[in-house]
Amino acid sequence: MKAVYLDHAATTPIRNEVREAMEPYLSESFGNPSSLHRWGREASAALENARATVAEALSVSPKEIYFTRGGTESDNLAVLGCCKFMETHKKQLTLVVSAIEHSAILDPAKLVTEWQGVELVTLPVSQDGVLDQEPLKLALESGPTVVSLLWVNNETGLVFPVAEISGLVNELGGTMHTDAVQAVGKIPVNVRETSIHLLTASGHKIYGPKGTGILFVRSGVDLVPLVHGGGQEQTLRAGTEDVAGAVGFACSLQLAVEEQQQSCKRLTELRSVLERSLLELIPGLSINLQDANRASHISSIAIDDVDGEDLLAALDLEGIAASGGSACESGSTQTSHVITALYGEEHSAATVRFSLGRETTEHDIEQTILKLTSIVTRLRNLGVAS
Amino acid sequence: MAMSGGVDSSVAAALLVEQGHDVVGVTMKTFCYSETPDHSKTCCGLDGISDAKRVTSALGIPHYVFDVEEAFDRDVIDDFVTQYAEGKTPNPCVRCNGYTKFRDLLSRGRSLGCDLIASGHYVQIEHTHSQSRILRGQDKQKDQSYFLWALPDEMLKSLLFPIGNLTKEQVREHAHAQGLVNANKPESQEICFVPTGNYRDLLRERLGKVHPALQPGYLVRRSGEIVGEHNGYAGFTIGQRKGLGGGSSEPMFVLSINPNTKEVIVGTRAELFDDIVIISGLNWLGGPIEEGATTLVQLRYRAPAVSALVSHEEDQVILKLQEAQPAVTPGQSAVLFDQENRCLIGGGTIASAHSSD
Repeated sequence: MKAVYLDHAATTPIRNEVREAMEPYLSESFGNPSSLHRWGREASAALENARATVAEALSVSPKEIYFTRGGTESDNLAVLGCCKFMETHKKQLTLVVSAIEHSAILDPAKLVTEWQGVELVTLPVSQDGVLDQEPLKLALESGPTVVSLLWVNNETGLVFPVAEISGLVNELGGTMHTDAVQAVGKIPVNVRETSIHLLTASGHKIYGPKGTGILFVRSGVDLVPLVHGGGQEQTLRAGTEDVAGAVGFACSLQLAVEEQQQSCKRLTELRSVLERSLLELIPGLSINLQDANRASHISSIAIDDVDGEDLLAALDLEGIAASGGSACESGSTQTSHVITALYGEEHSAATVRFSLGRETTEHDIEQTILKLTSIVTRLRNLGVAS
Repeated sequence: MAMSGGVDSSVAAALLVEQGHDVVGVTMKTFCYSETPDHSKTCCGLDGISDAKRVTSALGIPHYVFDVEEAFDRDVIDDFVTQYAEGKTPNPCVRCNGYTKFRDLLSRGRSLGCDLIASGHYVQIEHTHSQSRILRGQDKQKDQSYFLWALPDEMLKSLLFPIGNLTKEQVREHAHAQGLVNANKPESQEICFVPTGNYRDLLRERLGKVHPALQPGYLVRRSGEIVGEHNGYAGFTIGQRKGLGGGSSEPMFVLSINPNTKEVIVGTRAELFDDIVIISGLNWLGGPIEEGATTLVQLRYRAPAVSALVSHEEDQVILKLQEAQPAVTPGQSAVLFDQENRCLIGGGTIASAHSSD
């Protein structure tokens, strides 16, 4: 039995091109970019080339790209760094997020509310995936505001109109951050055409190495650093740079952006086969946010009358990797705040997220349809029997 | 296979794999440590869970963590608190095995297509075509049959206890031979949901500071004579000698607790002995024993089993002990064994005890 990996929103394997690009910087070209000698120059050149590649892929300037150790760090730097800067310069500040942000935003946001003079506003999202922008407008009109919105939601694939909102935020003098971890390589991301001030991207979601990421910081936007030390990354992120990681990240981003259109077309087709078949074969099954604007790689499925933990374990025993909400480190699934925010506390259906990727085949989808159908039938029969 | 991350369940899993079973490891997350003062044991980084993951990975078997916090909180922790509030000394491991752990394991196991449920308890199980019986573990020092009397009878046929025929020493040897990561892990002693060992903090949190169980009261003799004061009867258990102050010619022990008057009744060692034990909430494994029959009863973990005469009264059982025993404690389990002191035949919770003299 061939294993089927449908958890690409959790992480992806490093692709060969990326591994090959990184290889020299894990061995002979091991220098520290800050050193003045040949080894240092070599490393420094590789780092700056990587920065240029990233900048080009996002249509921004290289000096606006800061390498970090991943998406979570970039999110923290954006929210905490931006609020800290504004807090020290202004009296009142409003931080606006949506109810379905990743915990890498929600947790720092909670922290910020403990600071004096910072108010947190959470924007609700309707069952159809519509973001309520009214409180955002009110906040922007009332004073200095930092906004952080996911471009693509990691659990449902929902796309927020981030480009459009960034225009509004910019016009009314606010600062706009977006976590684009699930957006780059999945939907068109041309930062220059938007008014986004800060943008997070991560390597391991796009076939790059784990522990790599960037924060785009538009020229003129000020942040307070979280990690202090040797002044690397224009003092915004101290610590000797992960040169191989930066090179790997750049390579993975470049390829992801190049292939975005084609990959989106292929995954949309595969996903629609998956969703159509499941809706047809399994009663009491629905697709979360089915009619909303969704990125092509994520399918969030609600199934009545089964236990989510049982379902995921049974799928795994059949060789199919999927996930529930966000898994906590222990592997125990907890009720997802995203599903709760969309459908309310009483929503009792099990949620399964399938996320498709480069190596996903038609055969994988067929297998998944078959296995999921038989597992749901079996679990429901057991439920009735007991 | 229930995996706590400890050496016993790890070796049990290894043995099942050796025997050719198709094994699935499961850890029940019963309790979140992040809300306790002991933050180092956060729920997501629980030592137990990460050890279980490492062991199952080395054994090449799948492993899942199931969240049973809600049921555990309701069935085990709430009961623990209520019992202390009633002046009793609860036995949470019995509650957990009987109400939460095995029931949930069985239903999870069925969902995953498993035929049998295994755990790393030091007990043996004997399956014949007509019935299944739990026997004491081979290692008399480690025998855990005391904690399993509350299992539903119909569940026994689905149970396996792979290390029940081994001694702790043999289990450790096995762990070393297999190179298991937790071979040298120390035994856990404390109640899992009271990591600090101080259950009074938990009682204060759940009952509120003003609950009578945590309010001062008198230490009195059976005669009614007041001999001292205490700062909450929940801090006492029958047979306890500590915390009663000095001043009397003979050592004093806690004889009983009266939650209505908040009195802790104390007396001499001689007064501590009871021979009539009333037990309630009975569970029989293989059917109830007859009126007037003699059985062996174990009145606390690690206590020797003693002979007793059984009589039924409505849904309670009255045991007449052949020899009076010290510190028979309401809330603890009275666990019944056959005449050979080998086979677990049932048990109940001690409701009260007195002396027939």
